[in-house]
Amino acid sequence: MNELRPIRSALLDVRNLHTHFLTDKGTVKAVNGVSFQINQGERVAIVGESGSGKSAMAMSLLRLLAYPGKVVSGEINLEGRDLNRLSERQLNEVRGRLVGTIFQDPMSSLDPVMRISNQMIPPIMRHLGLSREKARAEAISWLDRVGIPDAARRIESYPFEMSGGMRQRVMIAMALSCRPRLVIADEPTTALDVTIQAQIVELLKELTAETGAAMIFITHDLGLVARFAHKVGVMYAGKLVEFGPVKDIFARPRHPYTQSLLDTIPPVDQLERRRLAQIPGFPPDMKLPVTGCAFKDRCAGAHRRCFEVAPELEPRGHGHAAACWLPEGLGAGRQMERALIPPMEPAADAGEDRVVVEINNLHKHFTTRSSLPWRKPPTVRAVNGISLRIRKGETLGIVGESGCGKSTVARLLLGLDPATSGDIFIDGMAQMVFQDPSSSFNPKMTLFNIIQEPLVVTGWGTKAERETRVRELLGQVGLDESYMHRYPSQLSGGQRQRIAIARALALKPSVVVADEPTSALDVSVRAQIINLLVDLKQKLRVSFVFISHDLLTVSYISDKIAVMYLGEVVEYGPADEVFNNPAHPYTQALISAVPIPDPEAEEARIQKPLSGELPSPLNLPVGCSFASRCPKATDYCRTHKMVLKPYSKTRETACHYAS
Amino acid sequence: MALISIPLPAHRSIQFNFSSLNGTIRLLSNRRVQLALMILVPILLLTVFRPFLPIPGPLETNLRAMTKPPSFVHLFGTDRMGRDILSRTLAGVQISMFVGFAVALLSLTVGLVMGTLAGFFGGVIDRVMMTITDIFLAFPSLLLAIGLVSVMGTGMLPVVLAISLSDVPRFIRLQRSLVLSLRSRAYIDAARTVKASQMWLMTRHIVPNTLAPLLVAASIAAANAILVEAGLSFLGLGIMPPAPSLGNLIRDGQTYLEQAWWISTLPGAVILLIAISLHFLSDGIRQVLDPRSRK
Repeated sequence: MNELRPIRSALLDVRNLHTHFLTDKGTVKAVNGVSFQINQGERVAIVGESGSGKSAMAMSLLRLLAYPGKVVSGEINLEGRDLNRLSERQLNEVRGRLVGTIFQDPMSSLDPVMRISNQMIPPIMRHLGLSREKARAEAISWLDRVGIPDAARRIESYPFEMSGGMRQRVMIAMALSCRPRLVIADEPTTALDVTIQAQIVELLKELTAETGAAMIFITHDLGLVARFAHKVGVMYAGKLVEFGPVKDIFARPRHPYTQSLLDTIPPVDQLERRRLAQIPGFPPDMKLPVTGCAFKDRCAGAHRRCFEVAPELEPRGHGHAAACWLPEGLGAGRQMERALIPPMEPAADAGEDRVVVEINNLHKHFTTRSSLPWRKPPTVRAVNGISLRIRKGETLGIVGESGCGKSTVARLLLGLDPATSGDIFIDGMAQMVFQDPSSSFNPKMTLFNIIQEPLVVTGWGTKAERETRVRELLGQVGLDESYMHRYPSQLSGGQRQRIAIARALALKPSVVVADEPTSALDVSVRAQIINLLVDLKQKLRVSFVFISHDLLTVSYISDKIAVMYLGEVVEYGPADEVFNNPAHPYTQALISAVPIPDPEAEEARIQKPLSGELPSPLNLPVGCSFASRCPKATDYCRTHKMVLKPYSKTRETACHYAS
Repeated sequence: MALISIPLPAHRSIQFNFSSLNGTIRLLSNRRVQLALMILVPILLLTVFRPFLPIPGPLETNLRAMTKPPSFVHLFGTDRMGRDILSRTLAGVQISMFVGFAVALLSLTVGLVMGTLAGFFGGVIDRVMMTITDIFLAFPSLLLAIGLVSVMGTGMLPVVLAISLSDVPRFIRLQRSLVLSLRSRAYIDAARTVKASQMWLMTRHIVPNTLAPLLVAASIAAANAILVEAGLSFLGLGIMPPAPSLGNLIRDGQTYLEQAWWISTLPGAVILLIAISLHFLSDGIRQVLDPRSRK
């Protein structure tokens, strides 16, 4: 352990932290003996899947746990003081003053009925001992530093007057305003768009470097970790299974879990398309006692010892530590196994060239109610002239920030909303797979009834035939037939998404529209679903429309990509070409905002996050809609609109300066 | 400061389903439900088996035992005509329970149908229905009931209708709000993509998911109806004497409260017990159905 202990004392030294949630159904051991240290100015990322205890661990540091959570034992030494022994009153002095916190959802972490000034100024007065005027000036200067335009006026706004990105900036300003020594950020960018996420991450990086504050950054996005962190802690089932410098972890992960996790990410270079590695099984139930290593059931390298004794976090050199009996984890064997994964067949160009979906000049305008009856009501132009074609067996990826109209296109395709103008031709039927697997099923229906509903509604076959079909569908999505009589609430997120896919395929549709089908899933499960979709696409020759803000996943699964901005397609073309050589400035900005899970590559990239936010679709600019944020924009762009024009043989783009 | 909640592993999220045996067991293992049943079941059993109990009939007078305090012979005592109060209370409970159940069923059914239509279709149907419910909700329920009884005359049917009239608008409102929140669920959209009929959407997806909250509301409505019936009978607008309703019993005893306290108070206590246990029951159902209320 000597290697882990630096000579100078650490800023934060957590030892053997245990946090339990005492529920009716048993004690959930959310944090189960976590020890780590953070030095001054260090940015430490804690990664792990949902339920791994990463949030519970971070919240335990400041005892911000909701009932029935309780820090059971452990030491939390912050600058030599054990926070775990402080009274609630003493701890309140630490919270905000020494440790700032940034929470995940900026929509709910600011008080909606208080002005920003009333939320920011009192803590500054209290912690820094400033007068109201000085505290106010301090607050304004912080808002200015986090990039709130016109901070002196905006400080009197209410949270609802700000966008999500703005609120998160305010949260950051609040967290940093008392000059804390440590900032705890719990998934601070998860609720935000990629371009905003890039801005926020850059901001956090700059400001913590400036103030010398250390940072604990909780995330499940390995790309962000590579971009942001100095050190990484990987959590699994309430324990740290690996801890070390970011480059070392990414280059030579030692724990099988970390290794598998890194393999589940779609590769950045699209030259070789391989199936993603997937981690079988589920994390253990934290209510039950775990004998041996918690990861053993999902680990390819598990042996007898793993079932008997749990490995402790042991140093592996260069400040790297891992909790595995095998010195190299899956090591060389893992490389072997990956190479054996068969490369995907090239997208079948030889097949029929039939167009199954044709969209011509599609518009969808929503009329909002006017505030004054005699005024013309404002119109939201959600989809503003889109033309697309999808061939049989082809996957079209639609990417763009929230509010760009991609989900509206999906709804129009499915016939859920009528289009304002334009046509959609579908050769066959369109079916859908939803984003949130928890609300997409009727909780009162069994899975059998859920899957057979499309068959029943359309009067397909007899009862026996339908049952056979449901069994067949379950087999296709890789679920056991025994699931048929269960209810959706008994399934995990990944299993529910499989059911959603089975149901969507029931009527043999020609196109399946998947709106963010993987964004609610954990990394390891996400890989399973993506692999399944790839398999189905090849086996059944179904066309997919894959809508997502996750560019890595979209470019991995899609044949063609359409990039949307404010209701228009600004770039269209083959996935790898668009991703590796974007033509439109917006596509370029979007791709540079996507964090790549490779710290070396991240370091080499030039970070120029897109400034500003999406203009309101209520009054679209006259010229190019991207002009307000575009680095290349000229006066010509602001007055002249550009339509989608051929850029190369296979690609189209809507920019005056693309070629 | 924000707090974090219990980390439930996703694949073990709580399941509840009323139609399944599991749900029934969960309901029966709820403490409040148990408490409610411990009160309600004996009262109901006594009411049902009253004719076989060794007590006089509710209308039987006994001139040798007039205005007797509670004793082993007459557990609840007798009134000034020598009628057994226990027997009359149990007969009253029978009427009260019937009124409570009928009102709950009637309001539930009408509210379910009208509320579903209003919430699902919206537009003109919704606006018309909401205006009507607003008008009814503006009247105090007792006043409404008095009005109706004075038009239709007294008796069981007018009482049930009168009480339902003020409950129905509440049920319509409740059902409408439930439907509105369900209408935009993803599974409704999913069913619409296969061109499911509106009847299918309402009967398969919407109504089953609103039954649980409606059931909670119905058990509260039943408790309320029993109290209102007693109130109406007390005012002489409900069940006509000599038929023994709980309200009649209280009114009978009111004049003799100082000499014979038991005539009013014991039936009153029974009303209280029934009302409380029905509230416990609804609270228990709500707890079982709402995973957030459990810790």
